[in-house]
Amino acid sequence: MAKQLMIKTKDGEKYFFRFTVNQRIQHILLASSVITLVLTGMPMKFHRIPWAHYLYKLFGGISVAPVIHKIAGSILLILFAYHIIYVVCNFYNGHIIPLKKKKELRLGKLLKRIINLPLIPNVKDIKDITALLKYLLYLTDKRPEGAQFTWKEKFDYWAPFWGIVIIGLSGLIMWHKELATTFIPGEVMNYALIAHSDEALLAALFLFIWHWYNVHFSPAVFPMGTVFLTGYLPEELMVEEHYEYYKEIMKKEGLEHEILPPHGSPMPESMKERMPA
Amino acid sequence: MVMKLVYRLTVCAGILFLLFILCTPLDSYSADIDNCLLCHKYPGLSRIDEEGKLRLLFINETAFNNSVHARVKCEGCHTDIKKIPHDPVKKVDCLTECHIKEPSSEQKFSHKEVADFLSKSVHGKSDKYGKQKKHIEDLPNCKSCHDNPLYRPLSFFKRVRPGISEASLGRCRVCHKKEEFIFRFYNHVTTRLHKIRNPKNIAEICAKCHDDPQLVARHDMSTQAAFSYGETFHGKAASYLDERVPDCLDCHINRGQSVHQMLSHEDPFSSTHAINKGQTCAVAECHPKATAKLAGYQVHPEFNREQSPALYYFTVGFIFLTGGTLLPLMGIMFLELLRRLFPKATLRRRKK
Repeated sequence: MAKQLMIKTKDGEKYFFRFTVNQRIQHILLASSVITLVLTGMPMKFHRIPWAHYLYKLFGGISVAPVIHKIAGSILLILFAYHIIYVVCNFYNGHIIPLKKKKELRLGKLLKRIINLPLIPNVKDIKDITALLKYLLYLTDKRPEGAQFTWKEKFDYWAPFWGIVIIGLSGLIMWHKELATTFIPGEVMNYALIAHSDEALLAALFLFIWHWYNVHFSPAVFPMGTVFLTGYLPEELMVEEHYEYYKEIMKKEGLEHEILPPHGSPMPESMKERMPA
Repeated sequence: MVMKLVYRLTVCAGILFLLFILCTPLDSYSADIDNCLLCHKYPGLSRIDEEGKLRLLFINETAFNNSVHARVKCEGCHTDIKKIPHDPVKKVDCLTECHIKEPSSEQKFSHKEVADFLSKSVHGKSDKYGKQKKHIEDLPNCKSCHDNPLYRPLSFFKRVRPGISEASLGRCRVCHKKEEFIFRFYNHVTTRLHKIRNPKNIAEICAKCHDDPQLVARHDMSTQAAFSYGETFHGKAASYLDERVPDCLDCHINRGQSVHQMLSHEDPFSSTHAINKGQTCAVAECHPKATAKLAGYQVHPEFNREQSPALYYFTVGFIFLTGGTLLPLMGIMFLELLRRLFPKATLRRRKK
């Protein structure tokens, strides 16, 4: 992988590298296929409610919308398969090959590397959640210092990950019911329908309430977060959400003297003039 | 002067032409030779009967003339009306022999044979041992399911679509000179070539009884049939007016038989009996590649603990998963918004 510029400066403000172009394209494909799936799927779930009929008509009604739903579903499943290959390849290139070169390739070492991958949930996440609750309940004025990926982002990653497995599998079963029921009992279809539609509702609410709040609607980011397009996060958000990682990057880049104080604490005099009003 | 005269004449001619159009009946082929419409043509013609029910007595002539019974005279069915104005009339008996002759047998036409079929079906009033069933007042008669249906012609000319194809009518006119005959014959045949009602309508008709919780309980039936059908993809598609999906009748009637010959799912000759279900799903136009296992799908499950506990707990599990995930997260969102109102407030100061 090409080396990424960790900090970009524009108009005197720092922007911190978050996502590669490949990852951003994956995310846009994921987002657009999920939104299409929700818009063409929810009218089926809520077919007894009048608005569903207007929404379904927008997508061509019963003769077209199911086709759109299946195309979007296929794109999502192909993307999922690609993502698995992408993650495995990155791990192979980034960890297995270096270990092989050092002739230290052992199972224990590999497992340790896996556990230390940035998106794997760990003890720090639990500490961060308790620290956040303390902060939110006014027990302290110190926000938890987030790592490269906070527990919120890990949640945002693993919830759809699990969702795609459940919804994709049940969707495939219902799509190819004749083939599926050659080796599974027909009653499984009843469960597949419940799992598909209920898990989809959970996923849609999760994404459109929780995820969109965190990345767009929260007062810190409103009206729109741009990191999913640019790949770079502004400094103030970096300080607020990823302070631990922020300090680490700043030190690495040799900008130790420019590190801002944690979110919510008063700005030292020496820095005030540097910050925009 | 001349121009003015021409102008006035044109206006007069125009008015006369409009009057002529307005006064010509929309369809002059009605079977109303006894002039019943003299009174019944008025919208709003109605009265409150002895039971206090509002009876609407208006006949929409245009609609009636496009219905399958358009050629039957009023007194063909209302046999007790002999004079005008008439006394209160009896309800129509569909088994009356009407004036129409069945063209292949030259016999007077009646719906009697349908009634024979119905009496032997699951909707008949006696069981297979000839014993009278309980609550026979709940069981359907002709008019519980049938109204006077409108023609619903299908056009096969170039593309299959609903409606009358002028192009095919042109072919009829070569030999058949009477427009009225062409119109009736075309409609009779093309309406019969597909279902007169779409799957949603069919389910609604069945729902009148089969979704009535008290009636369902009285007859020891296991499910609110039309509601549970609505929860399947068949029913969902039907609610979006898809005509390709199966409705109640497609699965509950043996191939080639009439609606009136429906059997109970406990009858081994029924298309919905456990041993025949597989074949019913696997018919050529539905799931031809399906094995018998596909029929294991429960079309009419009730989401209650008594009937399908596994499905019930599976659903409840998902409800808890949804609530258990979203409520705490939304709680955090709410607290965070509150926190932003008083960013400096705290019970314990940070150590400097």
